[in-house]
Amino acid sequence: MTGWEYYAVVLLVDFGTFLIAAWGLNLEFGVAGVPNLAYIFLVAAGAYTYAITTLGPSSGNGGFQHYVIGAHLPYPVAILCAAAVSAVLGALVGITGLKRLRPDYQAMALLVVSITATTLVSAKTSLVNGSAGLALIPNPLHSIEPSKRGWAYVGMVFLICLLVFAVLRRFTDGPFGRLLRAMRDDEEAALAIGKNVVALRIAVQAVGGAMAGVSGALLAGFLGGWSPGAWLFIETMALLTAIIVGGIGNNWGVVLGTAIVPTLIVQGVQFLPDISSNPELIPQLGWIILGCLTIGFLFFRPAGVIPETGVRRRHRVIAEPAELAEQPADGAKNGASMSNWLIAPRGDADRRLADEREDILVVDDIHRDFGGVRAVDGATFSVQRGSITGLIGPNGAGKSTALGIVSGFVRAGRGTVRFDGADVTRAPNYRRARRGLVRTFQLSREFATLSTLENLVVAAPRARSESALGVLRGRRYWGAEEREITQRARRLLALFQMEDKAAERAGNLSGGQKRMLEVMRGVMTQPSLLLLDEPTAGLSPRLTQRLGDACLALREEGLSILLVEHELETVDRLCDTVIVMVQGKVFARGSMADLRTRKEVQEAYLVG
Amino acid sequence: MGIFVQTLGFGIAAGAVISLGAVGFTVQFGISNVLNITYGAFMTLAAFLGYVLLNRGLDVWVVLVAVGVVIAIASAVFNRVFLSPLRGRGAGFVNLIIGTVAAAIILQGVIVIAAGPSAVTYGQQYGKTVSGAGLVFSLAQLIIISITVALMFGLHLLLTRTKVGRAMRATSTNRTVARACGIRTERIIDLTWLLTGFLCGAAGVALAVTTVTFDFSIGSTFLIYMIAASVLGGIGQPYGAMIGGLVVGITSQLGAAYWSPAYQDVVAFCILIAMLLIRPRGLFVAAGVNRRNLSAT
Repeated sequence: MTGWEYYAVVLLVDFGTFLIAAWGLNLEFGVAGVPNLAYIFLVAAGAYTYAITTLGPSSGNGGFQHYVIGAHLPYPVAILCAAAVSAVLGALVGITGLKRLRPDYQAMALLVVSITATTLVSAKTSLVNGSAGLALIPNPLHSIEPSKRGWAYVGMVFLICLLVFAVLRRFTDGPFGRLLRAMRDDEEAALAIGKNVVALRIAVQAVGGAMAGVSGALLAGFLGGWSPGAWLFIETMALLTAIIVGGIGNNWGVVLGTAIVPTLIVQGVQFLPDISSNPELIPQLGWIILGCLTIGFLFFRPAGVIPETGVRRRHRVIAEPAELAEQPADGAKNGASMSNWLIAPRGDADRRLADEREDILVVDDIHRDFGGVRAVDGATFSVQRGSITGLIGPNGAGKSTALGIVSGFVRAGRGTVRFDGADVTRAPNYRRARRGLVRTFQLSREFATLSTLENLVVAAPRARSESALGVLRGRRYWGAEEREITQRARRLLALFQMEDKAAERAGNLSGGQKRMLEVMRGVMTQPSLLLLDEPTAGLSPRLTQRLGDACLALREEGLSILLVEHELETVDRLCDTVIVMVQGKVFARGSMADLRTRKEVQEAYLVG
Repeated sequence: MGIFVQTLGFGIAAGAVISLGAVGFTVQFGISNVLNITYGAFMTLAAFLGYVLLNRGLDVWVVLVAVGVVIAIASAVFNRVFLSPLRGRGAGFVNLIIGTVAAAIILQGVIVIAAGPSAVTYGQQYGKTVSGAGLVFSLAQLIIISITVALMFGLHLLLTRTKVGRAMRATSTNRTVARACGIRTERIIDLTWLLTGFLCGAAGVALAVTTVTFDFSIGSTFLIYMIAASVLGGIGQPYGAMIGGLVVGITSQLGAAYWSPAYQDVVAFCILIAMLLIRPRGLFVAAGVNRRNLSAT
């Protein structure tokens, strides 16, 4: 092999291994929004695992290097071990997301994890030979004669790249990618529609970790050595730069970024004329250019060279024209039959009939303080099945906090919340949503980078494509269900008269349209009780009317609604029962007409 | 017991430097709401500038002020031309932190090209020691401790007794409202960056003097100590950072003495990770110790 050939082999292996890692980090950071600055640590874990599972026992080499295990496993098994170990570590690192820290805190925590790992591994010699690192790591292709081994390695790496890509696409594109992007765009809203954000994130970090492990194993097998110097946290920055330059959230962008960043720049600077005698100039220049590229792109083109696939293109995939034609043409006009379709009865219909008289929501004596301020102070109320119940009261009466406690977004200081016959006081918010207790937010929270239709489709409960394993089984497994969900979403759009906005990026909708989307997304989860927090705030009279019509139509189908509202006209029109809250307590309860006649209510709220 | 008391002394000395840097970091965070990783690189720059100037035979006080002023201006410019415009373009928290990491990498690269990758040893030693109550301090350590105490006291007066200090706290709490109240927030922000940059520079020189031998990575390692101290004290809270600096300094020295010097950094790192996972708002917030200070949110 000539010098140039050897150089090409090194470049290509570098490219392939870097690409696998960059794809993995892009899945975590670009698609799912997890700022995993400890990613290079997972690559390293894969490299070390490969090394200590392929090397023979440590005692066999006469004290030349110290390490644990030394299992002498076959190479494919060792690479799988590397993937498994990094996947587990990736999931463990995912625990940093449990506390739901602000993303930059999370990034920093992970950065420190990476640095701590480097320090520990360097200091503890007996584990993987400390700062000197491991050498003589067997090449998986060592049985091939040396002259052909290099190109064979390139072939193997690229084959694995293809394999990885085939799997990766199922996570980054289609319904699972949509779910991850929703989580990235707004975590709270994802929880509110019943998505288990923590589990999703851990799953993503396990998948990304496995990819890091494969990348590390291939790198260590090629280089034959691996030491802490190879995985300083700055290497994660190189991966990030490739992603930012190429296009965050776009696998092809990452390919381009990988071609530009490590290959062109880190290698390219070696060919600069040696203008000074400073041996540090060239390697440092590589990092400096990398830093400048990152900053330049953050400033002038944060979406990268090839931005994430646009809403309209993704849209063509979910809304195939053929399916649209199948839709009954008169569907939009026939409101009643349509909503029949929207709120499918959940659970056992007979049981529903049996306890028809029991209230769907029973809130007993809930309390909540915020730093000495009593927001909710012993409120007790209930919501009848199939009714629209209004919750009114002056500003600061604790209505939104009460709603937060019921939905699980605010912890109750005391008291119980019973929903559909079960105590849910301690259930996490996303689980309540799955049971059918779903809230909307006072300030609309939309998944900004998804289309209106995607915002609805992603909210469908218990979809097959929602689990990592389900999505791996491919379109044949989840395709039919996805079509059904899409049709249901379209009917819902028709009910709210927003069909023309289906393909609009949700972030571009007007304030009023976002409010409507918020309510539609709640309905899409097929709730049995929908909690609406001031849904008409900021809506034009026409949209308010439309929203009210939709609420009434949904009630006809058995949906119960608890509505926090200031617009008494709306309350008058929609609500069967009205609860008045004052200073954290329930002050009065009755029909609106009844409440109007009561003097104390007038004094407390209606007049003042 | 002897070891313990002596370690305590080392811890207080180390903690003084950490506090100095951490207070700057935390006040800067309070006003900008950005985790500025470049802070560590500026500290490295300060350490090297201090090294050069001290080796020219300048007095340590002069060097401290001179380097402080240089870093102060550099920090304010950094905010004006980089961080503030980047945020203005709608960069989110993660992109901002990535931007500051990138800037740190660039600055560190320049430092390595200029000063070389190997460690330098600061020649002039303050060999004399002062002892009392079982504690032994070198003269350098005593100087650093007194500098820290003096600067902290000055900062305290500035924040609580002056109009500018009140304006800084107001801007830190809510920039828009502060502007609506007639505070010239742009100037207050510049001023805060100058002030915190000065603390960063002073801490860099102090660090160079106390560690004696250091290389280009000094700031980035030390940054984690400072962040740990800031998080411990509740980010954005200067008094919290002072106490946090002492706690981090003493525990890491104890870790070095009773476990292994190799793990000294690990102790600080673990404090930070644990705090972020368990109590990211800091130790003293709930106790209401720092009610009158800058708050992050």
